[in-house]
Formats: sequence, structure tokens, C-alpha cells
Amino acid sequence: MTKPRVGIFGLAGCAGDQLVLLDCEEELLALADRLDLRDFLMASSENDEQTPLDVALVEGCVASHRDEERLRRLRERARVLVALGTCAVWGGVAAMANEDEEARRERLAAVYGSLGAAYDSLPPRALHEIVPIDICLPGCPVEKRELLSLLAHLLSGQVPPPVEWPVCADCRMAENRCLLQEGVLCCGPLTRGGCGARCPGLGVPCLGCHGPAEEADPSVSAALYIEKGVSLEDARAAVNLFCARAWQESTL
Amino acid sequence: MSTIRIEHLARVEGHGGITVELDGSSVKRVEFEIFESLRLLETLVRGLDCERVSPALSRICAICSVAHALTSLKATEAALGIQVTPRTVQLRELLFRGENIQSHALHFFFLALPDYLGYASVLQLAQHRRATVELGLRLKKLGNTIQETIGGRAVHPVNAVLGGFAKLPTAEQLIALRRALEQGRQDVDLAVELASKLPSIRVGSKPTAYAAASGGTDYGYYVADRAVLLRDGEQLVFPASEYTRLTNEQPVAHSHARYSSFDGQPFMVGALARLSIHQHKLGKRAKEALAQLGLDLPSSDPLDNNKAQVVEMVEDVDYALRLVDELLDKGLSAEPPATVERRAGQATAITEAPRGLLVHSYSYDDHGRLLAADVITPTAINAASIEDRFRAVVAAAEGSRTAELAHSLAMVARAYDPCLSCSVHVIEASDVR
Repeated sequence: MTKPRVGIFGLAGCAGDQLVLLDCEEELLALADRLDLRDFLMASSENDEQTPLDVALVEGCVASHRDEERLRRLRERARVLVALGTCAVWGGVAAMANEDEEARRERLAAVYGSLGAAYDSLPPRALHEIVPIDICLPGCPVEKRELLSLLAHLLSGQVPPPVEWPVCADCRMAENRCLLQEGVLCCGPLTRGGCGARCPGLGVPCLGCHGPAEEADPSVSAALYIEKGVSLEDARAAVNLFCARAWQESTL
Repeated sequence: MSTIRIEHLARVEGHGGITVELDGSSVKRVEFEIFESLRLLETLVRGLDCERVSPALSRICAICSVAHALTSLKATEAALGIQVTPRTVQLRELLFRGENIQSHALHFFFLALPDYLGYASVLQLAQHRRATVELGLRLKKLGNTIQETIGGRAVHPVNAVLGGFAKLPTAEQLIALRRALEQGRQDVDLAVELASKLPSIRVGSKPTAYAAASGGTDYGYYVADRAVLLRDGEQLVFPASEYTRLTNEQPVAHSHARYSSFDGQPFMVGALARLSIHQHKLGKRAKEALAQLGLDLPSSDPLDNNKAQVVEMVEDVDYALRLVDELLDKGLSAEPPATVERRAGQATAITEAPRGLLVHSYSYDDHGRLLAADVITPTAINAASIEDRFRAVVAAAEGSRTAELAHSLAMVARAYDPCLSCSVHVIEASDVR
């Protein structure tokens, strides 16, 4: 069997999703044996930047013309383009202000003075706003288990089944106590699960780092927040931290 | 006129390039260009409730997310007058050890080592020296195990919150961690042996000033309240709140990082700086490792930072063991995080991230919402120092081929273990004070 040609790339972000891959200490060498890893700048100084790729994993958002050009080139190169992590899928924390270009220019001027205008900078956007994406795996960072499952599926020519349930479902499976019942602002009802309710399991409210859950109904969640005495304004601000662009037209 | 250009530096975190322009043997221009896209997180977090500031700003960087998350908590707690317990301080120091081991193992084995042994990547290296790579993976995993046990996750910790920890580790978890650390003691010895046998590479030395956070009697990362600058054998001390007197940041046109200097001179931060300033605080085994690696401190060779990281891994494993034993001895009765009262205040926290001195400085309004944040990261500080070292490399390389010189420049940049996504997040300091 020929090994799939794979490239791993980072745009604007913290490199956390590439780090999760490198954190697969038990699996990394076995994984490397099964992939034809062509282009991985964070880990290798010899990269093939031309060959077509079977799979490109791209983390980070698009926050400059340079990012945008790299992404367009990757779309042309890759048969399957994976948006890896919440920045790639929804824009992430860099997009929390959900700005237009003018607001962005003002912000740059405030930070860098007159030099700011010369820097290559765009309002942060998710990858799907620039090019079509084949697979989205959100998470800040992505869960290791989900990343390995994705790679295992791709290796056998499959796509993992989508995670559509909210964090609340994970929480119930784990029999955690419900923080929202106690009046704590928790983004669990709105947020895509798959993390095993990592934060609520520790008694920390969900911050919404995976973005919107397919099955969640924002108006039902809104009613729930009101019932529990949580202000909707606070709830909106909370989910906007990681995914402002995903929530801009929601009914929350 | 000839130009040496590395378009996109590999085996570092983030996006940067190198340009050197030569006219005969004289250097016309040396630039370490950081073109990491701007995320401007410090300006975006204005207005956030105090409890969301640490999770938001930990996203500055994944590899040092513990340092950002905890330095952020430390600054907010100081600003809002929140007292944490000695056990919280111990657990945070332990979490820093985990991050340091993880980050150094990643850098030393995955990013730096291939240069010494003539490979392009750790995966190539694994085809020829699998045991060496497996050693690196075990150490990296050890660091991550500490981060997962104490912080709840390896990248972007979730268990460290304002006022303490959401959930304390159980005795069983700490005993398991203890076993992993015992294995780690053997592994760091193997790492020292490996580092002691690396081919000697000299690419151009130049004496430099060093800076590191300081405070407490132990060789520590979290417990610190001031910065120390070591230059020409003399130590200058800066209380945390006066950090701008040390860093004096200025924007430059060719880089998205602002450049730091003291008295017009750049200085280096990171493991080599910490060893140069705090070597007397090291434990016995780390002192032995330091001697075995023959590091002559303060060093004038930037590549020594790679070996300094190995010495720190020895210290960190021993110190983490000590902390785990103390935690087990004292028992782990429940200790909820201190109550957060939302009020106005401002404070600066200083710590040592794996790559060096880190500052988070905040002010809050009456409702505990963030008014302004200033974050000074180690790579932003090191950017000017890296360029300074490039000049020494070019001077020492007279007559060598372009490809060799480019390789030497890349090795020096890599030795600083730059974290370029960290480096570009800076804001005009006048907003904070």
C-alpha cells in the first residue's frame, strides 16, 4: 500500500494543534512509519513544497495576505484539506473582536504607531471563509484522541463520524455535577462535545473552546440561562471568546 | 554585494526568516524577520472579566501555555488582592517544571539535535538512532504527564484558576507521577551523556549580558518578584513593577516583534541566562551535570543554550520529585480556590518561561474587568540578541560558503529556542501605567 502524502502547516496561531500531534509520544514513530510526511516546517528543515498532497492538516487562522496565499496554495495542492483546531475552524481567540478591515487598521495603529500601516495584517478569519474545507476538527487545542482517530480514519480512506452532540452530553456520560444548575455560566449546552467534558469534570465551567454544537439549539440554551439566572449578555461574551465569527448570527 | 537569505526558518515555533547582506567581508544588514501574523491578543482581551483573562492569554503560545496561564493568574491575583496558599504556589511551581521538561525535551531532541548529528528532522534521526529519539520522547512525555496531572491538560492548562486549583491531584496520581519521575532521573542522566558527546560546533562567540527573573532561595521559575541583569560581572536588580526600565522596547520596521535593549545593548534570556545568574541555586545532581557538560558560565557561545536546557531538565526532575514528596507528606485535603472579589487594581507578575523572562502586567476596573494588558515575552527580548549574535557568526565565517553560513545562522537562531508566535504580542506600555 502506498503511504499517503501528508503535510502539516500552521498559519496564525499558537502551534498548539501541531504540538498535540508531537505530544503523541507513544504513537508518533509508528505514525511516522505509516505516513509519507512531505512538508512539516515546525519539525523538519527539508521540506518538499511542491508535490501534491493527499492530506494537508492546517492549523491557525488567516490573519495576513501571506496566510491567505499559503492557504490558497495548499488548497490547490491537497486532495483533503483539514482545518485543525478552533482557530482554523472558527477563527479562534484572534477573531474574538470580529472586526472589519478598518477596525483592524485602527487597532494596528494603536499598537505599532505609524509602522502599523506597513505590516501585512488582515482581520482574522476561519479557513472556510477563504477556501472550501473537507474536514473540520475543532478544539483549543484539538483533543489528542480525536486527532489520532482522524488520522486512523484517513489512513484507511475514511472520514470519522461527525461529533454533533454538546459538551452537556459528555458531562452526563461522565456523571459530573452540573455547574449551570448552580447558576454558573457554563458554555456546555452550546458547545461541541468530544472532549469528554474535560473542564466541567474538574469543576471548571466550559469555555466553549470547541465552538458551536450541531445539535445545540441556542434559543433553548438562552431560556435555560435565563432560568438559572445567568445573563445572556455574559453568555454571548463567553462564547465569543473562541468563536465570535461562528456566533454572530445565532439566536442566543 | 551578496545576500544570504533563509525565507522561512524551519524547526522553530512560528514564522520567521533571516537576511544577511554582505559587501565583501563587511556586513551591511542583518535581520531576523519575524513575520508571524499579528493576533494582537493584548488589545483584544481588554474588557474581559478577570476569570477569562488567563485562558485567553495562555493562547499566546502552546509550548509555553503554562507559563502564560500562570503568570497571568499571578498578575491578576496581585492586582485584585487575592491570596493563594503555599500549596497552590508549590503546585504551580511543579506545573512549571513539567512545562520546562516538556519544552526543553521538544527543543533539544526534536529541533536542535538534528543539526548536531547531521539530519533534517527528528523523524530522519529516528530512522538511524531510534533509541535517542525514544529517550527524547520519554522525557517529553514525563513533562506532559506532570502538566496533565496538575494542570488537567498538556497544552493550555484548565485546572489552574484564579485563587488556586479547581481540583487537587489525588495521592494515587501523585504516586504514579513519582514513579514516572524516578524513571525520569535515569533518562536525564542519559540526556546529559548524549549532550556531553555532541560534536563541538563553534559558529561565532560574543560575550553578552543575561537577564533572568529572581526571587526565593531555590532554582525556580514561578516564584520570582524581580529581574536581574548580569553584565560585565555585575548584577543590576529591577523590581517586577519596573520591568520597562530593563526592557526598553522599541518597534522596528522589519519585524513584528518590538526590540528590547538595556543601555542600547541587547541581552539574552532563557536557560543559559538562568544558569549564568542562578547556578549556585542548583541542586547537587544538576551541578554535576553542569560540570560534566563543561559549561563555562557566563558563556559567550549561544549554542551553549542547548546544553543549558539539558542541565535544567536534571534540576527539574529532582526538584519535581521533592515537590511531589512534600505534597504527599502534607496530605491532600480539599482546598477550594480563594474567593475572587471583583475590584480595581493593577499589578505586574514576573516569571521564567522555558525560553526566559516573562512579564504580564495588568490593570483592572472596579468590576474586575481588564482595562489594559502588557505582555513581554522571552522571544521578543531575544530577537535583538539573536541579530547581535548573527553579526558574530558572519564575522567568524569569513571565507566560508554561503550554504554553511546559512546553516550556522539557522543553528544560532534555533539555539535561542525562539517561539515566534509569542514574540509578536506587544502593546504600547503607556496604556498600562
